[in-house]
Amino acid sequence: MVALAIALAAGPAAAEIAVRHARGQTILPGVPKTVVVFDLAALDTLDALGVPVAGVAGGPKPPALARYNDASRYPRMGTLWEPDYEAVNALGPDLVVVGGRSGPRYDALARMAPTIDLSSDPADMLGSDLRNIRTLARIFGKEAQAEDRIARIEAGIAALHARAGQAGTALFLLTTGGRMSAFGRGSRFGLLHGAFGFRPAAPGLDAGIHGQPVSFEFVARTDPDWLFVLDRDAAIGVQGRPARQLLDNALVRQTAAWRKGQVVTVDPASWYLASGGLRALQTTIDEIAAALDRAR
Amino acid sequence: MAGSLTRGGGPGRRAGLVLAVLSLALLAAASLAVGVADLTGAGILAGSRIPRTLALVLAGAGMAVAGVIMQLVAQNRFAEPSTAGTAESATFGMLLVTLLAPGAPVAVKMLAATAAALAGTALFLRVLRAMPLRARLTVPLVGIMLGGVVEAASTFVATRTDMLQFLAIWRSGDFSTVLSGRYELLWLSAALTVLAYGMADRITIAGLGRDASVNLGLDYRRVVAGAVAIVATITAVTIATVGTIPFLGLVVPNLVALVAGDNLRRSLPLVAAAGAGLLLLCDVLGRLVRYPYEIPVGTTMGVVGSGLFLVLLLRRTDRHA
Repeated sequence: MVALAIALAAGPAAAEIAVRHARGQTILPGVPKTVVVFDLAALDTLDALGVPVAGVAGGPKPPALARYNDASRYPRMGTLWEPDYEAVNALGPDLVVVGGRSGPRYDALARMAPTIDLSSDPADMLGSDLRNIRTLARIFGKEAQAEDRIARIEAGIAALHARAGQAGTALFLLTTGGRMSAFGRGSRFGLLHGAFGFRPAAPGLDAGIHGQPVSFEFVARTDPDWLFVLDRDAAIGVQGRPARQLLDNALVRQTAAWRKGQVVTVDPASWYLASGGLRALQTTIDEIAAALDRAR
Repeated sequence: MAGSLTRGGGPGRRAGLVLAVLSLALLAAASLAVGVADLTGAGILAGSRIPRTLALVLAGAGMAVAGVIMQLVAQNRFAEPSTAGTAESATFGMLLVTLLAPGAPVAVKMLAATAAALAGTALFLRVLRAMPLRARLTVPLVGIMLGGVVEAASTFVATRTDMLQFLAIWRSGDFSTVLSGRYELLWLSAALTVLAYGMADRITIAGLGRDASVNLGLDYRRVVAGAVAIVATITAVTIATVGTIPFLGLVVPNLVALVAGDNLRRSLPLVAAAGAGLLLLCDVLGRLVRYPYEIPVGTTMGVVGSGLFLVLLLRRTDRHA
C-alpha cells in the first residue's frame, strides 16, 4: 500500500519501483536489467520465474542451479559471505540481492548499487519467504506466474498441515563431519513444525536458530516418530561421514522413526542452500508429502 | 640413575596418585551415570556410556602424556601439542587428506594427520634449536606463532574449498557422538602412553638437554625422535576421533610437577590419571550445564583449562621454567 502510494505520488516517474525489504526501502528507477544475486533462495526464485541474472556468488549450488557455476556465462561475484566488490562494481548492476549469509554485506553493496536484503525472518519463516518471492516477482513483473506457484505451495502446505498433526512427533537433525545438532520450532528449519505442522518430539528445542549439539542418547530418549535428517556435507558437496551411516547405530535403531522406516534424509539443497526459494519450497513440500504417503 | 635424578616429592607423589586414582574412579562413575537416556535402557550402558567414558579416559590420559613429553623435549613448561604447532599441523593433515581422498578410512586420515603433526613438530624443534636465547615465554610463543601460520594455511585452503565447518569440528573436541565402534582408535593412544612409560627414563634425561644427555651416554636424537613421534601420533589420533582438546596437555603436567617432580617414570601415571580425570570432569559438566543438550568438551575445557592456567602462571612467577 505504502509502496503503491509512493509510486503514485511520484507521478510521471511512475516506472520507479519502491521495494521494501529487511533493511528498509530501496527505490529502483525501473525494471533492473543487470542483476547480481548473493542469495541462493533469490536465485532459485528468479530462475524459476525466468528472470535473467548477470552475476552470482561462487560456491556450491543446488543441482537445479548448477549452470550458474559456469563462470564464463555468469561471472563470479566473490562468495556468499565475501562479495568481490571490484567484480560487482565492474558489472555495474541495476539491482543487487542479498539475504541470509550475505545479509551483513548489505551496507557495503548498497553504496555501489541499488541493493535489497531478502533475509528470512526466523519468527515468520514461511511468511517472509513468500513475501520475498512476491517482492522479486513484482520487481520483474512476474506476479501472475508467481501467484500461480504460490497458490500451489499454499495448497501443498495446507494439505501437509492437515496430515502432519496426526503423523506423530518429529525431530530435525543436521549432521556434519560426524557430529549432529537438533533443530526446533524457532530454528532455520522451523518450517517443519510451524508451517508443516509436525508435533515437535523435543518441545524444549524452541530457542535458538543455530540448533543444539545433541548425543545419540538424546535421539533415543526423544524417540521421535519421524526423524528428518539434513546431511550438510552432502549439501556443500563434501564427502563426510554420510548421515545415514552416522545414524545407523544401536541407539537410533531403537527409535519409533527407525523401526517404522520413517527416517527421512531431506533434500539438502532445498533445505540448506536455497531454503525459502520458490522451487526449493515446493521441493520440500513435495518430499515431505511423499514421505507421509509412503508411511501409509 | 633415574633415582638419583629425582629424589623428593615421594610422599607427595604417592598421596597425589592415590587422590588422582580415587577422583578418576569417582568421575568415571559420574560419567557413566550422567546422560540423556535412561541408563537401564537396552544397550545404553554398553553402547553409549561405557564407550564415551573410555574414550574420555583414553583421550585425557593421552593428551596429558603428550603434553608432559613435549615439555621435557622442548625443555619448557609451556610447550604442549597446541603450543608447539603439533595440533595445528595434525588438523592441516586431516584437511588435506579429506580433500584429496575424501572416502579414505579414518585410519588413513589419522596416518596423514600423524605425518603432518610430525613434520610440524620437527619444524618447531628445529626453530627452537636455531634460537640463541630460549627465555621461558619465547618457546611457547614461537610454537603458537608457528601454529598460527599453519592454522592460517588451513583456513585459507578451507575457505577456498568450503571446508571451514570441518575445520571448526576438528578444532573443537566433542564426545557427543562417541558410541561403541566409533572411538576404538583411541586405544592406540593408550598403547603409546605405555610405550612412553617404557621410554620414561630416557625421555627424562633428554629433558636435561642435549649436552647433558650426550654426557650421560644417551642417543639424544633417537630419543627425541621417538618422543616426538609419540606426541604426534597421540595428537593425531585424538583429533581424528574427537577433535582438539585445548589446555589439557598444558595444565595437567604443570599441576602434577608441583607434587611429583620431573621424573617421567614417577610422574607419568599421575599425569595420565589426572588428565583423564580433568577431561571427564569437563565433559560431565558439558553434559549437565544445558541438559539434555550438550556443550562440547573443547569449550568447557577451554574455560576450566584457561582458569587453571592463569592460576599456574600467577603461582609460578618465582620459579624458573
